[in-house]
Amino acid sequence: MHSGYADRTITKAPNWHGLVALDTLFNNMTTGLFLVAALGELAAPALFAEVARVAYPIALALLLADLVCLVLDLGDPLRFHHMLRVFKPTSPMSFGTWCLTVYALPLTVLGLLSILPTHTLDWLRRPAMILGLLPALGTAVYKGVLFSTTAQPGWKDARWLGGYLVTSALLLGAAQLLLLCGVTEQREAAGALRPTLELLLVLNAVILGLLIRDVRATLARAYESTRLSELALLVVGGGVLAPLYLLAVGRPIGLTVAVLLILLVALLVRRVIVRLPHLLPGGRGPGH
Amino acid sequence: MDVLNRVVEPFHRGAPPEPQPATGFYTDTTVCIGCKACEVACKQWNQLPADGFTWLGDSYDNTGGLSATSWRHVKFIEQFPVDPTPAEAAAGADLIDPGRWLMMSDVCKHCVTAPCQQACPTGALIHTEFDNVYIQPDICNGCAYCVAACPFGVITRSALDGHAHKCTLCYDRQRDGLVPACAKACPTQSIQFGSISELRDRARERVARLHEQGIAGAYLYGDAPSTTYSELHSFYLLSDRPSVYGLPDAPFNPWLRMKGDYVRAAVCGLAAIAALLPMLLAR
Repeated sequence: MHSGYADRTITKAPNWHGLVALDTLFNNMTTGLFLVAALGELAAPALFAEVARVAYPIALALLLADLVCLVLDLGDPLRFHHMLRVFKPTSPMSFGTWCLTVYALPLTVLGLLSILPTHTLDWLRRPAMILGLLPALGTAVYKGVLFSTTAQPGWKDARWLGGYLVTSALLLGAAQLLLLCGVTEQREAAGALRPTLELLLVLNAVILGLLIRDVRATLARAYESTRLSELALLVVGGGVLAPLYLLAVGRPIGLTVAVLLILLVALLVRRVIVRLPHLLPGGRGPGH
Repeated sequence: MDVLNRVVEPFHRGAPPEPQPATGFYTDTTVCIGCKACEVACKQWNQLPADGFTWLGDSYDNTGGLSATSWRHVKFIEQFPVDPTPAEAAAGADLIDPGRWLMMSDVCKHCVTAPCQQACPTGALIHTEFDNVYIQPDICNGCAYCVAACPFGVITRSALDGHAHKCTLCYDRQRDGLVPACAKACPTQSIQFGSISELRDRARERVARLHEQGIAGAYLYGDAPSTTYSELHSFYLLSDRPSVYGLPDAPFNPWLRMKGDYVRAAVCGLAAIAALLPMLLAR
């Protein structure tokens, strides 16, 4: 007997592709860099204030890149401001939009103060750092929940996606700050950052394991087993083991390579996650 | 001025209309004949462009699915035995299962708790005064979160204007006291429109009658809420598993898991901040 439409993917994938993978990366890079730099400066200003001055303008540039991705990915980019018509806590996208908006204000202040030649307004730095912490964390938290609160194959099962992306944000932040310590020759700050980065790498790998356990059935439908093995090798070897080894050795060029590997693998994981529902048969659906 | 209007206008709010009795569709698939008059009437009334014509090799279904330009989709399911075995043939035609056609006019389910409406960050997706799910075309900015959220695969973002589109349950016709175009055109009353409570009573009577006639597999889909999904204001009378018709067997509202996901993410965030301690304690 004919099973009708039983073998079809019922849901329609939203047609989110490269820009959204980049958006999740930039989101985590800006919030992570800000959080690690601001917490470092608040807790140990003697150690981190110098490198944080370089970090804030970069976090601001990453935020702008993220906003460009978000706007361009809309079906009607000229209506981007419609996002601010309502505040709907039930919608992770609305919650995230408002977190991004609020986070942008103190970050802009810090970014501008960091590039101004004068230090007369430096009294604003501390309140701006403190005010930015919660919205920055909210901005990092919402993104994974946005994906997992959908009906899409893979995403809907990804209970640990929010957890993965937020720990990844802190990992990316620490990695970028370590790179900036190298550029600005802040050796003591770099020395303090290394064990933190190692801890974050391990924590992020554990949560990635939980995430993969959640979505393994959909991964198996979307990818052939050899491709999955290659991806696993790249993620575990290139994104966890190699950086851990390079951090332990501690040579400057090795640290740079470790940071680049962490960034590249972070982009790869996001690309795989964002594409997941689109790779299944019928995932694109009519009208796309 | 035009630019200023574009920026300011979406923030203007009118007074909401007075709530009306909830309306909806009851689709009795057992009397659908697959004529596609509903598809045509919907396209004509809503001025939806043609999708081109492609032989899909899928029975009489050449529409393929609901889309931004097809808000009704008639599904065809041919349930016939492949070939009778020689023994069956020898036993006589009476013993051979003659098979059956299943046909169903699919449409937006107008969920009472609609994931698309919960997802929408702009407030474009609303419940109208008739408790139907409606996309305000001047507000939607094409973020496609509603597309990702819909467990029935109904909403689609248009490649033409970049906005999300779906059945409006002929909101304009309802405002003028008219029956939606598809229900008006349906020649067998497979698609029925009316007050949702009356439709449910009518549908339950029909199921009871079908059971009396020996069609034990007839049942209603979406007339009542389940533990994981609200009732639908466009519900169906089916005679096979929902998945055979391309419907989820047990629809699940993704928002039931949102709080837990936020908690897990926040706890992970705090754990990651705790991992910064070696750096924060260094002086």
